[in-house]
Amino acid sequence: MTQDTTNVPNRAEAPGLAIRAAGGLHRMGQGRFLANRKTRLALVILVPILALTAFAPLLPLQGPLETNLGAMMQPPSLEHPFGTDRMGRDILARTLAGVQISLLVGLSVAVLAMVAGIVLGTLAGFFGGFVDRAVMSIVDIFLAFPSLLLAIGLVAVMGTGVIPVIMAIALADVPRFIRLQRSLVLSLRSRAFIDAARTVDAPQAWLMRRHIVPNTVAPMLVAASIAAANAILVEASLSFLGLGIMPPVPSLGNIIRDGQTYLEQAWWISTLPGLVILAIAISFHFLSDGVREALDPRSRQ
Amino acid sequence: MIDYSLKKFVQLLITVLGVVTLVFFTLRFIPGDAASAMAGDAISGEALELLREQMGLNTPLIAQYFSYLRGLVTFDFGVTITTQLPVSDLILRAVPVTLSIAVLTILLTVTLAIPLGTLAALMAHRGQSGLDNAITGTAMVLDLMPSFWTALVFLLIFSLTLGWFPASGSVSFDNPMEYLKRIALPVLVLSVTQVATMARITRTAVLEVLSEDYVRTARAMGWSEMRVLFRHALKNAALPIVTVIGLSFGNLLNGTVIVEFIFTLPGIGNLLINGINSRDYQMVQTLIVFYALLFVIINFATDIVYRALDPRVRF
Repeated sequence: MTQDTTNVPNRAEAPGLAIRAAGGLHRMGQGRFLANRKTRLALVILVPILALTAFAPLLPLQGPLETNLGAMMQPPSLEHPFGTDRMGRDILARTLAGVQISLLVGLSVAVLAMVAGIVLGTLAGFFGGFVDRAVMSIVDIFLAFPSLLLAIGLVAVMGTGVIPVIMAIALADVPRFIRLQRSLVLSLRSRAFIDAARTVDAPQAWLMRRHIVPNTVAPMLVAASIAAANAILVEASLSFLGLGIMPPVPSLGNIIRDGQTYLEQAWWISTLPGLVILAIAISFHFLSDGVREALDPRSRQ
Repeated sequence: MIDYSLKKFVQLLITVLGVVTLVFFTLRFIPGDAASAMAGDAISGEALELLREQMGLNTPLIAQYFSYLRGLVTFDFGVTITTQLPVSDLILRAVPVTLSIAVLTILLTVTLAIPLGTLAALMAHRGQSGLDNAITGTAMVLDLMPSFWTALVFLLIFSLTLGWFPASGSVSFDNPMEYLKRIALPVLVLSVTQVATMARITRTAVLEVLSEDYVRTARAMGWSEMRVLFRHALKNAALPIVTVIGLSFGNLLNGTVIVEFIFTLPGIGNLLINGINSRDYQMVQTLIVFYALLFVIINFATDIVYRALDPRVRF
């Protein structure tokens, strides 16, 4: 539930970051990204989760939808590390299946929102005038809604399921990306190398593609990794409220919702999958810190 | 100042009109129409036609839009489809619950976050990073905990295991003590996330001020650490903190929906979820507009307070 505040400092820092990181994506290739302490911490958490998720079918677990009435509400054990629910379904298997959906939602939202943000933000910032006013007034309207409530409203209209959830969260996130991209473009527009290109009559489309957009990618990636973490939390919240991904398809949110009824008898159903969400969210945040520190020479450790 | 407030207020009105328009037309884009979406498979044919008539869906779109606007201005939001009660009555009854949770959360958050953030900043400033890291690290983890999960964990620990707070039960303002007990846990859950955010901002703000020249000067003049801290550092760090209290209100509204749902509190968040589940679009559209209105007004107020507090900002 952090989307409203976490982006604020980034927005403020972003224009400076863009300039410092100008042409800087390749620095990540120089190993600074991987050498970063926070990146490594993120990977230490994320890699095992990803590996478990990817190889879930090979693990000695029952399928995520498989019920076993002989083993209902079992506490965590070697056979069922996260225990079982009221239908004897294995919570770990369900959690791993839920993680797949979480990651799908997180990545799709981040990519969709970033691409839409880059396109619309660049147009608004580069052309100014009417285009800018039109885009930004729509952005202002969207930003008038608290983010989770906007997603709830959109899901109410678009319906439940993976695709509507991705669309709803992405749509709720796009305005923030537009605003960030626009501010980055505005700060680049007045720089000497853009003036230089203009004096030799460089075509505008080329200017945007070659000089503007590449220099905004780095801070947009930082914002995107935070957006991915938030999208995972929002999807879980929507599914928990019964408005996102619906059972029997397991999602971290709806597994936790299932467990709410049996909190007293079977604490593990709700609590353990929540720890996994927390771990994923923390690692995405470290990842975004890692990207930022790798791209920003001022924060060299 | 007056000029600025007026200008901002006009912007606010334009945004609100935009919000209202967006919500109205988005609902018109539901496949089929609002009536058939609301009815589901339950009714069809003549009954459905009657519902359409009742909802005014047979008039031209633009006429519907204006009658909707007229309704909003006169606080006539129509009746709910399920119970035929006026939407405005239901919302008015639910608002105090949500607002009391929100206000208590802000109070608790400020009382906890400002000392913690200041302590972390002091430690960081003195180079004692151990305690600073502990506070900032904990704040990050708390900030990222999904609030519905925190709520369940707290429910498990404080209600079901320790029995300190009731997990459910009726909610009424007639018995204030009972009411406070009932909303204590929800407020605690929401505060956990809010404290984390605000402590982090306080830490940054205070840390920045502590390395300013005038703080060093104040120290050099031999003033006590407490006086330096309260008279110079905190006073100047107050500005970003006030802004964050305003900005985090959106998160707070998001959070109230979750805790009202979990703790079955009859606030507007619960009304919204029930409205969506029973496809009561009259209710849903009014509530979404209401939330946006609340959020926009708080942001407007924060903006004005910020300008009023900061003598450097001139108009």
